[in-house]
This record gives sequence, C-alpha cells and structure tokens, in this order.
Amino acid sequence: MDGGTPPNVGQMRRAKGMERSFAGQVRSLVLGDGETFHGETILAVTKALLQSGVAYVGGYPGAPVSHLMDVLADASDEILKPLGIHFEQAASEAGAAAMLGASIHYPLRGAVTWKSIVGTNVASDALSNLASAGVVGGALIVVGEDYGEGASVIQERTHAMAMKSSLPLIDPRYDMARVVDLTEAAFDLSEACNLPVVMSLRIRACHMTGSFQTKANRAPAHGINNPLPGASFDYGRIVLPPSIYAQEKAKVERRLPAAQAFIRDRGLNELMGEDRNRPQGIILQGGTYSVVIRALRRLGLADALGRSQIPLLVLNVIHPLVPDQITGFLEGKESVLVVEEGNPAFIENQVRALAQQAGLRTAVHGKDRLPPAGEYVAATVRQGIAAYLAHALPGADGQAVDAANGAIEAAGARSRDSLAGVPVPPRPPGFCTGCPERPVFTALKLIMAERGPLHISSDIGCNTFATLPPFNIGNTVLGYGLSLASGGAVGPALGQPVIAIMGDGGFWHNGLTTGAINAQWQGHDTVLIILENGYASATGQQHVPSSGSTPQGRPSVVSIEAALKGIGVRWIRRVDSYSVEATRTVIEEALDARGQGLRVIISDNECMLAKKRRGKNHQAKARRQGKPIRKSRFGVDESVCTGDHSCMRLSGCPSLSLRPATDPLKDGPTATVESTCVACALCGEAAHAARLCPSFYKAKGLANPAFWDRVKARVAQSVLSWMGAS
Amino acid sequence: MTAERPLCLQIAALGGQGGGVLTDWLTEAARHAGYPAQATSIPGVAQRTGATTYYFELYPEKDPPAPPLFSLFPDTDDLALMAALEPTEAGRALERGLITGRTTVITARDRIYSTDEKMKAGDGRVPAGRMMDALQASAAGLIALDVEDLARRSGGQGNAVLFGAIIGAGVLPLGPDDARDAIAAGGKAVDSNLAGFEAGLEAAKRGGDGPARDPDLVYDPVPDALAGELDGVPEALRPIVGHGLARLLDYQDAAYARHYRARLAPFLAADEGLAREVARRLAAWMAAEDVIRVAQLKTKPGRLARIRGELGIGPDEPLRVYDYLKPGAEEVAHVLPDPLAKAILATGLGRKGIGLRLPSAHPVGFGLLKLMAALRPLRRRSHGFGKEQAAIEQWLAAVTAAAAVDPALARDTAELAVWARGYGPVRQRGLDRLAGLFAHWDDRLKNNRDGLAGAVRKAITDAREDPDGDCRSG
Repeated sequence: MDGGTPPNVGQMRRAKGMERSFAGQVRSLVLGDGETFHGETILAVTKALLQSGVAYVGGYPGAPVSHLMDVLADASDEILKPLGIHFEQAASEAGAAAMLGASIHYPLRGAVTWKSIVGTNVASDALSNLASAGVVGGALIVVGEDYGEGASVIQERTHAMAMKSSLPLIDPRYDMARVVDLTEAAFDLSEACNLPVVMSLRIRACHMTGSFQTKANRAPAHGINNPLPGASFDYGRIVLPPSIYAQEKAKVERRLPAAQAFIRDRGLNELMGEDRNRPQGIILQGGTYSVVIRALRRLGLADALGRSQIPLLVLNVIHPLVPDQITGFLEGKESVLVVEEGNPAFIENQVRALAQQAGLRTAVHGKDRLPPAGEYVAATVRQGIAAYLAHALPGADGQAVDAANGAIEAAGARSRDSLAGVPVPPRPPGFCTGCPERPVFTALKLIMAERGPLHISSDIGCNTFATLPPFNIGNTVLGYGLSLASGGAVGPALGQPVIAIMGDGGFWHNGLTTGAINAQWQGHDTVLIILENGYASATGQQHVPSSGSTPQGRPSVVSIEAALKGIGVRWIRRVDSYSVEATRTVIEEALDARGQGLRVIISDNECMLAKKRRGKNHQAKARRQGKPIRKSRFGVDESVCTGDHSCMRLSGCPSLSLRPATDPLKDGPTATVESTCVACALCGEAAHAARLCPSFYKAKGLANPAFWDRVKARVAQSVLSWMGAS
Repeated sequence: MTAERPLCLQIAALGGQGGGVLTDWLTEAARHAGYPAQATSIPGVAQRTGATTYYFELYPEKDPPAPPLFSLFPDTDDLALMAALEPTEAGRALERGLITGRTTVITARDRIYSTDEKMKAGDGRVPAGRMMDALQASAAGLIALDVEDLARRSGGQGNAVLFGAIIGAGVLPLGPDDARDAIAAGGKAVDSNLAGFEAGLEAAKRGGDGPARDPDLVYDPVPDALAGELDGVPEALRPIVGHGLARLLDYQDAAYARHYRARLAPFLAADEGLAREVARRLAAWMAAEDVIRVAQLKTKPGRLARIRGELGIGPDEPLRVYDYLKPGAEEVAHVLPDPLAKAILATGLGRKGIGLRLPSAHPVGFGLLKLMAALRPLRRRSHGFGKEQAAIEQWLAAVTAAAAVDPALARDTAELAVWARGYGPVRQRGLDRLAGLFAHWDDRLKNNRDGLAGAVRKAITDAREDPDGDCRSG
C-alpha cells in the first residue's frame, strides 16, 4: 500500500468503519440459560447488562471500557434490534450521563460507560442533577478506572464524585461470576434506593479473562419494541426550589439508608477468612481482593485456593458503607488494616469515625502501613500487609511474616543489583508508524528552530504524545477539547499568537463550543490546528461525528469545516499532513495573519492504523486472486548516512531505526528503515524540509505484475545494467 | 493435596507485536488441557510503539477442590516464566525485581531501539550485552531467541515463535498439542502461526540461539596499487589505514590516498590510541560526502538489487526508486571552482534548495547520477573541496600542537572531528563549532590548557547528547 498519497476524501469516508469486526464477541453476547461464557470482564459486564433487561445503553469511548460500546455497535442487528434496546455513542460523557435522564420518570433500565476520572469529571454536571432528581428505572454507570500502570489520565478517585453526589459505588471483587452478579444487582440496588449506581473496574480487571454461567438476555418491559404509555411530569423531579431541598433530604434520609439496607440484605459485601474471631483483620475494597489474598499467601497466611487465616471484610460496595457491618467486624479486634487504593483515604477515615462513634478501641491502620498514593500492585500491598501483621500478630507469627517478606524483598534487590547501572530505556506510547499527526509536529519543530519557542496548547488524544521526545511539543494539557480555550489568556501575556492542537475527537467533544466559538466570539489572536484523522484513534478508532458514518454504520454528513464556517471563521486552510513543507508554510502563514482572529488549519489524513487494516485486507485478497500487488516503502543508503540521527530527532517514527554499522569509519549506528514502513514519506519529507541529507529514497514495486509490465521491467533492467546498474 | 502456588507468566511486548493474541492462545491451551488459568493485560493505548504487558497465571492441578485464587499482578520473586519480545523489556522486569532464581527467561535477542536511544547522535544504544549478562546471572535460565530469523524462516509471526518457545521451555504443564489446538481454535492464519510455533518450540528445546552481537567491522583490504603505503605502519593499525586508503582511492584517486598516508605519517610514531583515532577520523573526513560522492554511492552496483530485496520483488518485476535530494546553491557551489562558487553564493539565490525526487531506477535518473559521479576529476579544484581541506588542516594542526604537550588532550582533539558530519546545515553547524574551538588554539593551549581541555570534552559530549544545541535558540 502507498501511504504517501493522500487518500481521496470521498473514498476514505465511504470505506471507513469497515476495518474491525467483533463478530466473535457478539456471539458470546447471545448465549442463553446455562451456557458458559469465556472472555474478558468488560464483555462479561456487557452480557450482564443484556441479562438485566436494559432499555438503553450509551457512553463515550475511552480505554479500558470502549470495548463495551464497540461490541454493542457491531451487535446492532443481532442483539439490539430484536431486544428493542436503544444504543448510542454520546457526544461526550456529559451527553452519556444525560441519557440516564430516561430513568428519572420511567421504569427504564439503562447503562452508560466511560473512562474515569476524566469522563466522570465531564459528566459531573448531569450526574449531580440526575442523582438529585433520583431515578425509578435502574441506572448504572460502568466506569473504566484509568489508574496506575498503563493509565493516560490524571490520577484521582471516582470515589469523591460518588460521595458528593450520593452515588452508590461498586468496586467488585475480581471473580467473573461475582462481577456479573454484582452488575445485575446494581440495577436492583439503583431501583431500591432511587439513585444511579456506579461500577468501577480497573484496567487489568477489564481485560481479565474468565468464565461464568450465562442467562438468556431479557427484553426490557418498555423500549423500542414496546413503547411507554406516555410522557410523565413530576415537579418533584425538577432541580429547582423547593424540590432541590426535598431531594437533598431524601438522599440522606431515605435513599442512602435504602441503599445500605439493600447492600446488607443482599449480601453485596462479603465476610471471609477461616478464623473470624482473630483479633486482627483487613477491610478492603473488592477490587484489591486478589492482591490481598496473594500477599497473604506469600506471607504464609492463605493458600492457593484463597483461604485466608486473617478475617477479611470485602467491600464490593465502597459507598455507602454499612455502619453496623463495619462495627460488627471491628468488634473484638485489636486492630484492622484498611486496604484502600488512592487518596484521600475515604474508607479508612469513615472506619475510624465509626469505631469512635461505637466506642470501640480497635486500632485502625491504613495509609500508615500502605503508601498514600499510587497503584496498589502486588508488591506494594504485600509490603503494607507485612508491615501491619509483623506488629499486629503476636511473637513468632509476626516474626514469620517479617521473615517471609524480607526473603522476597532480598531476592528482588539481588535482581535489581545485577543490572549494575545498565539503564532500561523508557518506552512510552507514541505515534504509530505512518501516523498522519507526526508530520505536523515535525513542521512545528522546524518552525520553532527558526522562530524560537512558541506556546502550544495540547489536547487529549494521540496528539498528547507530541509532548514526549523527540518533539517535546505542547506546553499544557487541560482536558479533552480544551486546548484552544487553555491558550486564551496566554497569547495576550506572551504577545504572540498561540497555537492550539486538537484532534477531531476533541473538536466535537468540547472544542467547537468551548474553544472555537469562544475564540471567534472573543476575537482571539490564535491558531487552531485540527488533526482530522477520522476517528477517536487513541481509544481504538471509534467513530466521531465527522467520520462519515455512525458506529452502527449509518452514513452521516457532519463536517468540521462546515461547522467552522457556520460560526463565521474565515481563515480556514486544509493541508495534506504528510507534506511537511506545505504544513510548515501554512502554519507560518497562520502565525503571520495577525489581526485576523481565529485561524484554523485542518491537517487531513486518515488514521494509519485504520487505513493499514483495510489495506491488509485488500492485499490479502489480491494475493489470493493472483493479482498484481503494489509495494512501497522507504529506505536509507547506509553508505550515505553519517549517523548524526537528525532525522530521528525530527520524526520518532518506530520504523526509522538504527543499524549497527560495519564500516569502521562510521561513528556509531546508521539509520535504517524497517520493513514495517508504510511509505508515509515523512522521513523523506523531513529530510527535504530541514535539508538533512540525501540518504532517503522511496521504492515502489509491483509484485506479480501483468505480462506487459513484466516485459517493460525487463527492458528497463537491461538498459540499466548496460549503464552499470545492478 | 493441592498445589502450593499457581505458575505465573509475564509477557512483555511492544504495541503491535501480537502479545494479546499470544495470551489468548495460552488461555485457550490451558482450557484445552484442563488447567484453571487467568490472563490479563495492560495493552497500552491503541498506539503501536509503547511497552505492553500481559500477565497469565495457571494453576498446575486439574479440577482443584475450590477455584484457585488468581492475581492480576505479578509480585517480586514469583514469576515462573518471563517472556519478552525485546530484550530490554525483559530488563525492565528485572529492574522491577520480577526475575529471580525461580524465573526462566525467554527473550527475543534483537533490539528494538527506543526513541531515547535513537535520538542521540552517534551511538546512544543501551549496552544490551550487559543486560543479557544480568538476566543470565539473575534468572533460573535464559533462552535468547533470534525471533526475527525464526519468524522469517518459518513464515510465522514473532508472537507464534514466542508461544512455541514458552511451551518448549517446559515450565508450564502444557504440551505442544494443547498449543497447536489453541492456534487452530483461534482460526486466523493458522498455517503460518503453526509454522512459527514449531520453529519457536524447536529453538527453545535446543536452548535458544544465544545473545546477539553487533556484526563485526569489515575492513576493506588495501588496494594492490597502494600496498606499499602500509610500510612503516604498525601492525595493529594496518587494517584501519588500509581501509582508509581503499576508501580514498574509491573516493578520488591514488594520489589523494597517498596524501592521506602522508598526513597520517607524523602521528604513526605517537601512541597507538591517538594514531588510530586520527587514521579513522581523517579517512572519514577526507571522504566527506559531497554531491559527487553521493551520486557515486547511489550508482554503485548492487544497490538496485538490494532495494528489490527490501521490497520483496523479483528481478523482472517493475521497480521505481525516488531519491530524496535537495541540492541548493551551496551544494552546487561546492563542486564548482572557487570564483564561480563565490559568485553564486554572493547572489544569495537558491539557498533553500530544490527538493527533488530523482527517479534513479529509471535510465534517465540513473544517467543523471552517473553524470554527476563522473565529475570526480574536477573535485580537487572545487570550492567545497578547498574549504574542507582547510578545515582538515586546521584540525590536524590542533591535534599536533596538543600532542606536543598533552597526549590525553590530543586524543580528545582528534575525536573532535566527530563534528565534521552530515550534510547542508547540519555539516555547516559542525564545522562552525570546530572553527570556534580552533580559533586561538595555540594561545589557549599555552595559557589555559585546563579550560581548553574542558571545552573540548564538552564539545565531544555535546556531539552525542546535544547535537542540535547550537540551533535551538534559533
């Protein structure tokens, strides 16, 4: 395939959305009574929604929960239509939360999903109003907790949001059958207390494999196939006085107590451990259960089947706590350890307060034994539990724990020491080979080399990776679609036009209103570069309004350019992102167009991952049919490369790499282009734009050519070999 | 009696290497064999460059009395197996204390360099050999595989090769047939995946391929006509001097090669370290790639065949090659005689250059390059040649002066020639930096030798660590 030629926009639009298929996963969503599901947790939760009789499902894509929506979008015909379930990918998390408004007046069960904490932040306005109004149909929010290793967002707790808005928060123990049970129970809980319920799943939990016995999917009582009898009105549900005062009272006097009663009566939290009367115990979030048990096993206090010698109170619902459940566990205990990930330590502080109110003398440990911040991985929790038990357990038992932990740590230290200072190179995520966004940052780097530093506000999405080497471009990141707004006060103070980078996903999420409209209205002297690659790429190529079709494949015509023209932006240029020179020129023009208000550059080329996936399918087909196959890639003449690696500092392309030199005159490894090259031409274009070196070449070939092409190739080859080429 | 612990396996890969599919195979193979197992992943974001981690636990007993407790995280000193598709990713696990005496390590031995390593000018690579030594010292066993080669030969992918090696290592109670069934159940590219699997299986059984080494340096033999030039060259220096003579004969002519030998003569009596450094740097600098040289290199026999190989097309399948060249006034002036060159440069025209994509696998494009290469005899009278020679002389004089008073400084000064590299603006920047250092050299050598030595050391470090430093401020 040839990534160097910009695709015809019309063609690109038509073909989009055909790159991925979730047919296998869809099959496991239609399993019936007593069958066995095998797969990942996030898919199991999706199945649990269908088993719970949801009338609508929505959300906004974001790792690690995007899969829920991807699969349902693919399952439109097979599952959603027959059951009469309404599905939509909302415009933002706020939109998704607002969808839950359907459950305020009507007995409709609904679920939405997004990445937390960021998605919850965006949704918070709607969530507050929803929680205050209350629901009659069960409303569930499945959040993917993007916390710890592999996270790409600020590290904060969803717990704070749950507490301030009185949202019951489920943090389930990671046993797949239990997660499914709790998902189903969440709807009952929501209906019992009239509050929307949040279920939080960590990254590793979403991707955990397992199995459970399925039930048949349930069609909702009311939905597309069986409409409600009519619209209803109740001023008590409106967030204006005096309803708001009644709603606030209801939350604390009626709804939360109802939730607590439900949690207790349905046994959502679990008491575990072989010897419940031991004077030590651990209170833990359900989501930390498996690391706690693993730690206890390694310290000699649990077996491989999960039987713990230390009593455990497993909180699968971490808000609200059930006071008598907590005090019941504390009674007769000298001390407990609260294992609670993240900060502030809401559970620990509540447990301590409950102990004091109940007049209990139990010592409550938590963040004094475990770190106050950071992910609770296996080693962290083991060390914390060892620190607690080494003192809490009497004499020899405590010493044994300490010795077991010491031996493990010593083994780890020996390993680390063996590296003896050999650095392990950092390997953060970055732009893919052939990414259409990378050349824009090459151009910006070249501009800054000439003009000096510029203030560039970055956004959420793949473009955030430009803040990493080799570009280090992007001075601030304030949120999705907020780059333009975040430069508003900088420009005047710096006395130069600022540049804002935004993906098409960010533009539609928030950037149009908060950014573009405001900048236009205020007359900001600013340049907006929109990277239009056709998808929400960072989370896995979900469709955005300007993709040309909906996630379910229905064609649509929503255009960034038309939207901008509609709000009166006059200075709009579209540029082929792979042309570094053209991109540089247009950015410079935009910077120099002072006094013309908002200038917008749309850098246009499809996400290479999606394009490549499609190209691969085409190639495989051509190969099967014995048709000619076009091949193209770039290369470096090793003998011409001097090993200065300027090209890498302007690119960072994964396929542009190093090759150890065999020529003794070379000063280290030379550049090489690996076979993963997709011929996007950036390396050659950058070499041109920065006048780097003549090492790069593009090679295009035709494998399995037609007869005449083969004859012509032979003739050309003979002429060339007469001239001395081979 | 129940098994005491599950067997824990971590897989480290880079985005796009197929770690997820490999983990699916493992899960399926365990299910097929009847062992309880659980997998999870930190697949990274959708991008294809960052580190991705997969984690798998298998309980080595069928039908236990209760479901085993699996964890989603590896712990220190608890991994039975660490499998990596890149050696520094295995190193990362070592750094985290995950690899200990109870861990068998399987790793692809070929490096995939990180952006940090690539960005450095010269050689910024992490010493992978030392990392392999550390793995060897810490782990219960190390199986280093030439995954790239195994994949190429078998027609499979790297993840299938690694799957084979995981089974072949014999740490998990899963047999080859369980694995083959898992691949078949996956239903995608079954034949090629099976082929890759078998290759990995065999490789692990024979203990792997051992660690990778950089290829040896290849010294071109001294051309017959110049063999006499090696008289008086110490034995240890003959390969590099011979290589230099061969390079310069190819670059220009025998006289030019002899000129190299003559320039080198005063240093041959000095300590070997200095003589070697000068011999290598001088040859490289004297063979500075101008337009003529680039045309010569791009028309060398074998180039088109090599490109065909890279592209995977046969000798009679159509090939087009476009060389990215951007000659400007400077490049043109470089090969012109002095007065003419100066006149062109004085106009200030054409400084930005014209970006060409020269079709050099077409007879016309190839012919043009041949024509450029044929200008070789005119090179000696060109503006650019004179400029480079003057810079070389200045450098050699500086080395000579330093050698008289401070051998260590002399070696560093010889190494400064690292800045004579690249093309166009990159090269000019380097030469400017050298000119700055060599100005008032003798005075500084006499009056402020320590300060000078510091400046030289800094320039050498910058050449690698901060190559664009001078231009960053604009």
